[in-house]
Amino acid sequence: MFEKSLSDLIQGLRASKRNESQYIQTSLEEIQNEVQMSDMQYKSAAIDKLNYLHMLGYDMNWANFNIVEVMASSRFNEKRAGYLAATQSFHQETDVLMLTTNLIRKDLASSNVMEVSVALDGLAQIVTPEQATDLFEDVLAILGHSRPYIRKKALVCLYRLVLRYPEGLHAFVPQLKDALDDPDPSVVSSAVSVICELARINPHNYMPLAPKLYHLLNSSTNNWMRIKIVKLFASLTPIEPRLAKKLHGPLSQLIKATSAMSLLYECIHTAVVGDVISVPIPVTDNIGREIDFAELCAQNLVRFYESKDHNLCYVGLVTLAHLQAKRPDLVVDQYDTIIGCLEYPDLSIRMRALEVIAGMTTRRTLTMTVKRLMSQLILSNTVSLQPNNKLDKDRHATNSNDDDASFSLDTSGTSLVSAHGNIVLPQRMRKADVDPADSPEYRAAIVDSILDMCSRQSYSNMTNFEWYIATLVDLVYIAGVDVGQKLSDKLLDVTVRVRQVREYSVKMMRRLLSDKSIVEYITPESPNAKVLCTAAYILGEYCALLPAISGDIGLLLPASLTRLNGEQQAMFIQAATKVYTNWLCDVSGYWNNEVWELVRSVTSSTMSTLSALISSCADVEAKEATTTTETDSVTMHALLAAMPLQVSARLRQFFEITKAVSVATSNPSDCAPRICLELHSLFTTYELNPVSAAAQSKVPVPEGLDLDQPIGNPIPDRSRIVMPPSPKPQPRPRRHSSSHRDGKDGKLREDRKNGPFYLGGAEGSNARSLIDLPDVDDIPVVALDLSEERSAKTDKKNKKSKPRRSGKSAKSDKSRKSRMCSPSPPPISVDIAGDEDMPGAVADDKQQLPDVAATQKA
Amino acid sequence: MIRSVLIFNQLGKPRLIKFYEPLDAATQQGLLREIHSLVAKRSDSLCNFLEGCQSIGGSDSRIIYRHYATLYFVFVVDSSESELGILDLIQVFVEALDRVFRNVCELDLIFHFDEVHYVLSEVVSAGLVVETNLKDISKAVGDKKEMAKPAQEQSRLGLGVLRRGFA
Repeated sequence: MFEKSLSDLIQGLRASKRNESQYIQTSLEEIQNEVQMSDMQYKSAAIDKLNYLHMLGYDMNWANFNIVEVMASSRFNEKRAGYLAATQSFHQETDVLMLTTNLIRKDLASSNVMEVSVALDGLAQIVTPEQATDLFEDVLAILGHSRPYIRKKALVCLYRLVLRYPEGLHAFVPQLKDALDDPDPSVVSSAVSVICELARINPHNYMPLAPKLYHLLNSSTNNWMRIKIVKLFASLTPIEPRLAKKLHGPLSQLIKATSAMSLLYECIHTAVVGDVISVPIPVTDNIGREIDFAELCAQNLVRFYESKDHNLCYVGLVTLAHLQAKRPDLVVDQYDTIIGCLEYPDLSIRMRALEVIAGMTTRRTLTMTVKRLMSQLILSNTVSLQPNNKLDKDRHATNSNDDDASFSLDTSGTSLVSAHGNIVLPQRMRKADVDPADSPEYRAAIVDSILDMCSRQSYSNMTNFEWYIATLVDLVYIAGVDVGQKLSDKLLDVTVRVRQVREYSVKMMRRLLSDKSIVEYITPESPNAKVLCTAAYILGEYCALLPAISGDIGLLLPASLTRLNGEQQAMFIQAATKVYTNWLCDVSGYWNNEVWELVRSVTSSTMSTLSALISSCADVEAKEATTTTETDSVTMHALLAAMPLQVSARLRQFFEITKAVSVATSNPSDCAPRICLELHSLFTTYELNPVSAAAQSKVPVPEGLDLDQPIGNPIPDRSRIVMPPSPKPQPRPRRHSSSHRDGKDGKLREDRKNGPFYLGGAEGSNARSLIDLPDVDDIPVVALDLSEERSAKTDKKNKKSKPRRSGKSAKSDKSRKSRMCSPSPPPISVDIAGDEDMPGAVADDKQQLPDVAATQKA
Repeated sequence: MIRSVLIFNQLGKPRLIKFYEPLDAATQQGLLREIHSLVAKRSDSLCNFLEGCQSIGGSDSRIIYRHYATLYFVFVVDSSESELGILDLIQVFVEALDRVFRNVCELDLIFHFDEVHYVLSEVVSAGLVVETNLKDISKAVGDKKEMAKPAQEQSRLGLGVLRRGFA
């Protein structure tokens, strides 16, 4: 019956590479028979073979009972094989584990040292809570074994037992402490390993052991153990700051004396992380000078990150980042070395170097560093013109040969893109070259790093804001990863805060929006969509800074707009309204017949763009019902009602405005109609300033106001009204309901639920008709005193016209001051607006983080 | 602690799989494939550390490996271990194997995969390092081998087929 030994199996496997799985299947069947045999030799050999197959991915749980049988064998080699199989196969839920408790107890008590060792190793691996409770005392007794070999294994085993049986800790810790005095260095080393692991769970409990460990650190020569102790102290110093002073001596001695790089590294790391470097005791360096401990660490750290060995370089950079956080002055002069690390082929090293670079950039090196980082983004293989655009990626995949743009690369100018408005693609390199700069995480890290170093400390490193805007726009093209949200946040932040750069920013946004290669391929998810929405907002909000162009209206109402989601569409339409009214206001300044004709044509083309937009946005079904009368206003309303609320509200507003203008300009006149002049003031009465994210919470709730109380009665849900009741008694359109339409309706409803104006209602009330609505005359109207309102407005206007530095915060003042101190380049006269609080806010000294999300909503 | 020790060749064929936290066979194979795909594409000029292996331990875990001829020796560890220390430890482990097998090569590990486990258990037990002294490691391995021998002799008398079972 006995077929093959383990070697036969392995040889057979190697010989039958073609039908390996078939060979394994037959072998498994043989093993199934063999483990049933009564002869322990066969059984054990079968388990060995099974264990080998387990390594190749074949389950061996079915043989668990047989494994226990082999563990119980009286022969050492079989017992060992059984234990090995058990450690590989058993897990906490294995049912046969309860059978092993007594077996292990017997082995632990064996007179054979090797059996005890095998049992300890096995138990440590497979222990369950029940076993831990049952066997704890047995293992604890073994700690007094005469052989150090057994003592060290018992310590490790006990560590695993107390993890499952925490009550045992009380008895274990004193023994652990005694083990630190063991005459055998291996036992001491194992005890230290165990203490390190336990201290990770609860460091406080092991503080009393610190003096003993301290003594070991000084006296031992076992580097592995010293590394462990040094690492342990790194986790203890935050709890006991006095330890830092104690560690100063031995750490500085070790740093100066040791030749082992691993120990040297851990000493420096602990000194930096454990804040030993801030102990004000000087040390002498190797040429006898008295220096700061931090300087000693920095000097020795150079040996790591300047090393040819990539491993040393990597860990050196890790610690350098920590050192930088505590002593930036010691790191700054390493700029060239660190920049050099960005050229390493190793991704991990580059990532670490990026972390450090962002922190060490100064006003002088900012431009250079950013240029260097950007060139890494450009020169990799994966750059494409619309890298952030999924849709476009597909296009690239299908006809990648057609659009191999072979522009020339201009790296000499300050900006890589903006000079031409186009970024350039190097020829695609061979696929085989794996450039770390292709890795998405690295690209994202580069972008993060650039944004971080540019906007750090309220733009304290920034000397040229136009360059910054251009850089951000360049990043839109070359980032190649999803950083749209970050880029748009930064664009908005700098445009809102830095008044001087707004005009340039608007120009760049206009350029971005006129780039067909981006605009035509946007989807709601693509990162570019977020950037474009922000661009639309900026263009709309600050359009008055540039000479008005009627073309801007078209830019903000592109045909691809329908592909975006409701929120994004709303941003574009709102911006288009602002741009349109601004243009009207502008041309009204020099009104004549030509201008009149221009206004007529632009208004009518805008109207037709809008109605085209509406009909393409709207529900398919609604469109079918209204194919005959496209421009009919009733139909228009029906279509609008089917759109997400935030879109339809803005579309309706814009449409009504254009309608009013077209009515007002129906006949040529000598002077501009008032509506053309005044409309834009709707959007410019109040200036939007950056508002602190916490501003609202600082405004106290007035007494007697209950924010949870609904205001008035719930408004009936009109969103379901697709068609007004037609003159002919027509069956409801719902009758045609197909699964497709239901799906769409459901989605629409979901969309609306997310809308800002959604007022929830019972599902049943959905299909209400117009007739159910209250009569218009029944709506109570309160008479408003307009004169009062107007005077308030003019007050505000007067106040605003005064020159003022809006909300300049203490923080930015401070950063300005620090800029003044730096030698070069000269400080620039740019106001960086801080966050404002709301009127009536309670005074709060805490400086809020900049957040301009509030302005974006407006 | 050390979460896992793996030895595999350039093609990803496992030569030793040891997980100090229980995992089922499918997960183990998945991890093996994942780690192999990460490690095998790295040239020898890159650093020997990889951070954040998602499936085992998440962000706390690091892969530390060494490449010897046809084999990769991989240790998956958490942040309590020193990277450079583990690199040294891998060297110790390989030297111990070299002593046990006398000029170790991949074939030795294939045909004596159990022996590799026994050597490892003298260096690392339940995820903690118990011995770093080369002499002590090879002595312990030798002692146990000696102990296993009589049984092997016996089997050799009885059954020739088992001859190659234990070296």
